[in-house]
Amino acid sequence: MASRASRYARYLPQEKLEISLFPFLSIFLCVMGVLSFINILSSVSTPQKIELTMELEQGYKVAFQVFTMPDGVISVPPINRLLELQQLVDEESRSTLAMIILRRQRVIDEVTYAQANPALVARSPDVEDISLWLYEIRLINEMALRVNFLYEEFLLFGIYPNGGEAYQKVRSVMTGSPHARNISVGLEPLDANWSLSLHKGSK
Amino acid sequence: MKNMINVDSLTDIVSNSVGILIIFAVINLIHDNNKTYELEIPIEHETELRPAYIISKDDRLLILDTEQVFTNAALQAGKGAASNKRIFDLGYQGLFAQIDEKKGISFHARGTDDWSKFTELSKSGSELQKQLQQIDPKQYFAYFFVYDETNPGSASGSGFESFREARKYLQGRQVKSGWQPVSADFPPSICDFSYSNECQYLPSFLGSDSTASKS
Repeated sequence: MASRASRYARYLPQEKLEISLFPFLSIFLCVMGVLSFINILSSVSTPQKIELTMELEQGYKVAFQVFTMPDGVISVPPINRLLELQQLVDEESRSTLAMIILRRQRVIDEVTYAQANPALVARSPDVEDISLWLYEIRLINEMALRVNFLYEEFLLFGIYPNGGEAYQKVRSVMTGSPHARNISVGLEPLDANWSLSLHKGSK
Repeated sequence: MKNMINVDSLTDIVSNSVGILIIFAVINLIHDNNKTYELEIPIEHETELRPAYIISKDDRLLILDTEQVFTNAALQAGKGAASNKRIFDLGYQGLFAQIDEKKGISFHARGTDDWSKFTELSKSGSELQKQLQQIDPKQYFAYFFVYDETNPGSASGSGFESFREARKYLQGRQVKSGWQPVSADFPPSICDFSYSNECQYLPSFLGSDSTASKS
């Protein structure tokens, strides 16, 4: 028995199984090619997520963002620091601010809900809506000034391709509005593949 | 015994490469999802500087020689070509014009082939660079009329990229810039503030820029 086993062991290395690795190599090369292709494609075409900010002058300027698109405009008003301001103002202003915050929160909720497709919440610029934004911004800036609270809202336009018409309409309302006189304005061109990411202060 | 080429080492290299690529793809995906671009947004400011008008369209730039433009417009108006808000050939860089009491002189950019491509900004000594260098930052700021219409296959307004590049170039030369989006329906126009409140051309800059330029 022992001699048979030792004989078998002696023959074993000679019966080494040769496997062709070419099919594996071929699959690997294919996978590598596809992955490289996907990588290149994603780096070229992935929509950039942008967050609009500004250099905060002495840290007190806060943006009321308005995105102009071919379908209309989307507004993203700021809220966070209004709660601080609310603590400092008198009773009457406090209730006015509460109403403003409530209204703004509703707008933000709408935008957040439809963030995957912001065009859904884009509205044609309405004179009443624009006048209301301007009135609120002016009111808030005046309240902040009265109580020496370092806070100033300004209108920040993000202009998407073909969104110039909506922008011109908003500006034309602003030209005729007495509320817009002391409101600062900033504007920046945005590409269509830059998706909208909500402003930190509004979250 | 069949003679086979040993591909073990090659397979090893290829599988390592695949592994690295997979890791790279995953990292890329995670990173892309969290990536946000923070844009600096300059704010419009009142100024005593005068505007030097530039039209940005089809990735090209045209620095308007206002003296030439107004001379040509006056010449055409004298011939009656500009009556009844008619659009007439300005005879200047493919521009057509229209004269309106409220909007002043509006420009319709129909042919942009003769304008300079914005890529010329990277070539030292190019005609575009020379023209932009003539803008004196102590007397002028650049005001851009930027076409927001998209060309087929592009995700950007036809004048957006050239505007961004020119603004960056001018910023390096301490020249302030302002802009407004324009289109065929809302063409660029130059008018006087005393005629209409809408005729206001302001430079936009950051607070730090204004303090830097003052110092």
